Amino acid sequence: MKQLAKRTLRWRSITESRLFFPTVALLLVLLFDFIFIPGFFTIENRDGNLYGSLIDILRNGSTVSLLAIGMTLVIATGGVDLSVGAVMAIAASVAGILMNPSALRNEVFFVTDPTYTFQPLWVVIGAALFVALLCGLWNGVLVAYMKIQPMVATLVLMTAGRGIAQLITNGLRVQITYRPFAYIGQGWFILPFSLYIVAFVLLATWLLTRKTAIGMFIESVGINFRSSYFSGIQESKVKLLAYAFCGFCAGIAGLVACSNVKTSDANNIGLFIELDAILAVVIGGTSMAGGRFSLVASVIGGLVMQAVTQSMYAIGVPAFALQAIKSVVVIIVILLFSEQVKGLMLRVGAGKKEA
Amino acid sequence: MLNRASTFISKHRRFIPLTATALLAFVAYGVGFINFAGMRNPQVFLNLFRNTSFILISAVGMTFVILTGGIDLSVSGVVVLTTVVSAALLRAGWNPWAVILLVIAIGMTLGFIMGSFIVYLKVQPFIATLAGMWFARGMCFFISDNAINIDERTFRILGQTKILIPGLKELADLQGTPAPYISIPVIVGFIVLLVGIYLAHYTRFGRTVYAIGGDQQSARLMGLPVNRTLMMVYTLNGLCSALAGLSFCLFVSSGHGLYAPGFEMDVIASVVIGGTLLTGGSGYVAGTFFGVMVLAITQALIQFIGTLSSWWTKIVIGVLMLVFIGVQAVLANRKIGDKTLNARALRRRRQKLAFGFGAAAVLALLAIAFVPRLQGNSSNGQSEITVCELESFRKEEAARLIAEGAVIAYHRLAGPACIDEMYAIYPDGRIQKDDGVHTIETNVSPAEVENLLKTITENYGWYTNEIRDTYHVPCRQCFAHYVIVAYEGQEKGATAVDGGVNMPPGYGFTLAVIRAVLPDAQ
Repeated sequence: MKQLAKRTLRWRSITESRLFFPTVALLLVLLFDFIFIPGFFTIENRDGNLYGSLIDILRNGSTVSLLAIGMTLVIATGGVDLSVGAVMAIAASVAGILMNPSALRNEVFFVTDPTYTFQPLWVVIGAALFVALLCGLWNGVLVAYMKIQPMVATLVLMTAGRGIAQLITNGLRVQITYRPFAYIGQGWFILPFSLYIVAFVLLATWLLTRKTAIGMFIESVGINFRSSYFSGIQESKVKLLAYAFCGFCAGIAGLVACSNVKTSDANNIGLFIELDAILAVVIGGTSMAGGRFSLVASVIGGLVMQAVTQSMYAIGVPAFALQAIKSVVVIIVILLFSEQVKGLMLRVGAGKKEA
Repeated sequence: MLNRASTFISKHRRFIPLTATALLAFVAYGVGFINFAGMRNPQVFLNLFRNTSFILISAVGMTFVILTGGIDLSVSGVVVLTTVVSAALLRAGWNPWAVILLVIAIGMTLGFIMGSFIVYLKVQPFIATLAGMWFARGMCFFISDNAINIDERTFRILGQTKILIPGLKELADLQGTPAPYISIPVIVGFIVLLVGIYLAHYTRFGRTVYAIGGDQQSARLMGLPVNRTLMMVYTLNGLCSALAGLSFCLFVSSGHGLYAPGFEMDVIASVVIGGTLLTGGSGYVAGTFFGVMVLAITQALIQFIGTLSSWWTKIVIGVLMLVFIGVQAVLANRKIGDKTLNARALRRRRQKLAFGFGAAAVLALLAIAFVPRLQGNSSNGQSEITVCELESFRKEEAARLIAEGAVIAYHRLAGPACIDEMYAIYPDGRIQKDDGVHTIETNVSPAEVENLLKTITENYGWYTNEIRDTYHVPCRQCFAHYVIVAYEGQEKGATAVDGGVNMPPGYGFTLAVIRAVLPDAQ
């Protein structure tokens, strides 16, 4: 009897864990792949590096995961950042123009030399991340100090950001051939290099939020900013930090994305990706109203989004038609989390017990 | 005197954003009117309405949604779904009126479904409508991967009928210029606008909308039908999006799932610039009209300035949105009486006010400093107005050149000098230019041509869906292009106009590499 109680207790602690739902969702998608797509789980070993559909999910999901990490903090404060896609484009443009400034002279110019770069790598990465951080700070100032609604404040940069990115690259697609930079998105060290970046950012953020009080501050601001104000937490600074960090993460994601396609394309890098990032956070169980968050769950949420995308490609759904399927998935996920459906399920469950 | 003025202003504070937008529209048009001779052309003025009729229709619906404190990001999805469904059904031989009714029904149904998600399942409006947009855009590609042309009599009549303006026509006849005209979608836009104004300010429905936006909880406690009204608002917006889609469809006379990217942002921006508060409860449908006009005039000014690239439109719109949001934040704060504020809040309010005025002043200075200089640049050497009567592309001739063995046929129209040139590039490196007066021939190496074709097809994806026909009413400085590329058994032609924001990037690169080998092309 005691053992049974213990077992139910353990079972409940698993089901109530924040990682439970996103992991189950990921497993469901993978189960679907296992049944319908032969060879989905094969992993090849080429020269010590691993390749395969599973690895592809991880690799292609790295941009969304990076965004999801930053977005989690913003959503946990009760806000949202719609500008991450535009910030990605800005960071990518800065990086592109610093490596191949030919676009500034208004010419489409192909550098074929893989060792050519205008500025050294650390300047390129540093400048791109600095600009992304500035974008995040800008959002943060509008939200935290100007008290503008988060959705509205970040909408401004979402609208203007792509224009700014095009302004930086002079409206041209900048080709990037510098090999060390290409390593960020395309390099492999047993696993794709971008995975290590995600892991590093995740670890650093986890340490920052869980081993210091910042995580708690963010959650308390999201749950009730007034009472956290009265308990001495500076709401504005916490929010500013969250938005700045989100911009920074978007900058990293922008570098990974543009290194992956070897081009800095202000028009297309990070297009519509803010939706994927928000969704990854929602799948990860962080409420859009703010409050408790889990970084790992958000990253798993990002992988769920990528796994859905990848499996749809694998069964031959055209890229654009995929959006329709994604939207249905989103609505189902959101409904599963909504109070209404939870209430309904509880009622059904209770009814069963009574019967 | 000053006192009385300030009392008057604070009494009518709620009209400030509306007045500011209207003033901005007039001033912006005035600046263009003074600086650019082309802007004085009545047709250019009427084109402001023709080019934005679909934005206006959609923005009226959006105003209601935003007034309730919600948002609808699905409008661009519904618009493209409308274009694709009507194009596909017309191709299948349906009755055009049945098609129109059906797409309106589809739009309303989508709005209704999203509304019920928002109202009854408490999904956040922007997530529900985002999913709606993905769904609608995705469905387009289940119907057709490629753009479908519309070649149907009723749609042609609806889209191309020129409605002459009495008075202006006689004036144009006197001057011997073509009579300026508007199109049917413009009339529909104004009808929608008037109906919107009536609904918002003279009906019980409108009052409920404002009440919900002010405070949904109190509206509910007052016994207002909140749920029903919200459902009606989202359904109404679905209807408006479908109407906007139809007029967009008439405008481009084809349907494709990639049209109108970022359309919802244009619509939301015009509503915000029109003075509607994004938190809901405050704003005017008439303001939205001026918001759309500001958008249209900005676009026109940027095209007329010519030296500014199209992405400046996005930046200017973003800055305008920021200014209007800032102004409204200030106004919203002013509502609270001075007495109830403590020193800190007062200081913050003063900071905000200073920020708002500072931003406005900086913008005004920038505008004054830049516009004349830019204008000076662009009018170098051509002070005379040249308004090209735009010819249609000579597609048959281009196709004939391809049939005769050319691998690339390139037709370029308009531009500052109203040119009309046809280029043909042959696989042996021969390049022919025909500008209607002379024929010039040059030679490059065959390898160069091969290289060019490879670049176009492989790097720029000429045969992929990314390259498609785009259409934009050309401005004074803009060229219109038509390119056919025949390579490795495939052949595809696409049109584009520079100056717009719609040209696919691959198309621009293709033009750049083709132009690089052409004789005496700048």
